[in-house]
Amino acid sequence: MTRIVVITSGKGGVGKTTTSASFASGLAMAGHKTAVIDFDVGLRNLDLIMGCERRVVYDLINVIHGEANLHQALIKDKQCDNLFVLAASQTRDKDALSKEGVEKVLKDLGEMGFEYIVCDSPAGIETGALMAMHFADEALVVTNPEVSSVRDSDRILGMLASKTRRAIEGKEPVKEHLLITRYNPTRVGQGQMLSLEDIQDILRIKLIGVIPESETVLQASNQGTPAVHMKGSDVSEAYKDVIDRFLGQDKPMRFVDPQKSGFLKRLFGAK
Amino acid sequence: MTVALAGRAPTTFEIKSANLPLVALLLKSADLGALAAELSTRFADIPDFFDNDPMVIDLSPLGEAQLDFAPLLSLLRGYKVMPVAARGGNEQQMQAALAAGLAPAQDAAPTPTLPRKGKEQARSPAPSPRPEPVEGLATALIIDKPLRSGQQIYARGRDLVVLSMVNAGAEVIADGSIHVYAPLRGKAIAGARGNTEARIISLCLEPELISIAGVYRTSEIPLPANVLAKPTQVRLMGGAEGKLVMDPLQ
Repeated sequence: MTRIVVITSGKGGVGKTTTSASFASGLAMAGHKTAVIDFDVGLRNLDLIMGCERRVVYDLINVIHGEANLHQALIKDKQCDNLFVLAASQTRDKDALSKEGVEKVLKDLGEMGFEYIVCDSPAGIETGALMAMHFADEALVVTNPEVSSVRDSDRILGMLASKTRRAIEGKEPVKEHLLITRYNPTRVGQGQMLSLEDIQDILRIKLIGVIPESETVLQASNQGTPAVHMKGSDVSEAYKDVIDRFLGQDKPMRFVDPQKSGFLKRLFGAK
Repeated sequence: MTVALAGRAPTTFEIKSANLPLVALLLKSADLGALAAELSTRFADIPDFFDNDPMVIDLSPLGEAQLDFAPLLSLLRGYKVMPVAARGGNEQQMQAALAAGLAPAQDAAPTPTLPRKGKEQARSPAPSPRPEPVEGLATALIIDKPLRSGQQIYARGRDLVVLSMVNAGAEVIADGSIHVYAPLRGKAIAGARGNTEARIISLCLEPELISIAGVYRTSEIPLPANVLAKPTQVRLMGGAEGKLVMDPLQ
């Protein structure tokens, strides 16, 4: 049974693509055959984050328009055997996405034996975002600890509950998970960021994980490596926790309390 | 007489008397441009405010001014009202109304919005009939899902009960009262058609805006500390030109 997971947020720049890459990689590393699709037609980024931009020949729109088949368009990931990337088209716009076309691609991927299909949604609430979420079974709502991001996530949650196929057909609703990224417990303590409690009080959906603010993410994207592969970094650990929780394990939240700076650090004022 | 007619009673029809609740438009100016602008200000955001409601146009506040009915009617129909009758005009105006297809209805007096102290109603916030008495009981509209940014609920002609939170950016509107048994953080508009008896009740009052019968308050100035984010009831004191009073619930 294929599960379709949309990574969405409403607001741009909160970490949807970073999360899509790491989440899909993590599922693949856990042994699940996974495809990750970039729905950001016209502003494609996922291939860069996944480090496969030079191998893109055919893309999602080519498949939808019947100019290529899925086997030609799916790019096998360098690091995980179970992971395939379907890039967005850079030269088209979101109107090239049709509901029927997207449905066929997802159905065909299911028939090819994919267990998880991760849809990387574009920002906004227009066609691209609606297409990415329409067929979803589950949703990871990516939110930064600041008011505008929380409000946009709230809007997206409303759309997940009303505009998706599950909502329209009156089936069991899309399962919603809250993922907080760029969380900095020290700045939360100083009142510069919303706390986990503040965010959950507004959104009231189950928290699946907290990804700490870290320079590792920038390094990883510049290298074209999903952050989950950055061994030993707290971001990588945090994403692994997210995948474990998604697959049903119960794990305590990490990286949510300010780090105690050591005596020497305090003494010498190191950063 | 009935007996005499009985034998010839028509089989294809029967004439009976019937009553129709109407929305009344008290027309205070013959300047259709200004009317169009004010209608747009008030109703453009809520295109379904009227639901093909039949309307009587009350010409009595108009005085002797001449009125062009054709554009008036098409303007009103644009807001999904069905002008069916006119009243209160002088002979000339009533002739023009009849020519435009409106029935003369001198008896159709508008329902007073509320019992007023002496003075004739000077500035009504809207054409505001009571919600039509529905057959049986008009129960409240009950919403048990969270209302999130961008969502809007309108309880037409009845109360609204929301069992889950109303987030910032969401709007709850009712012709009657609004109850939110959770945090109210969006906009709450009670008495949307001018019912000054409507109330807003929430277990945690942190709204962006509250309004009863057109009297509103934004949260630009924070609510008093004794009601902010607390269980609170909001009422309108002093009718349509009164003020909103917020009391903590016991």
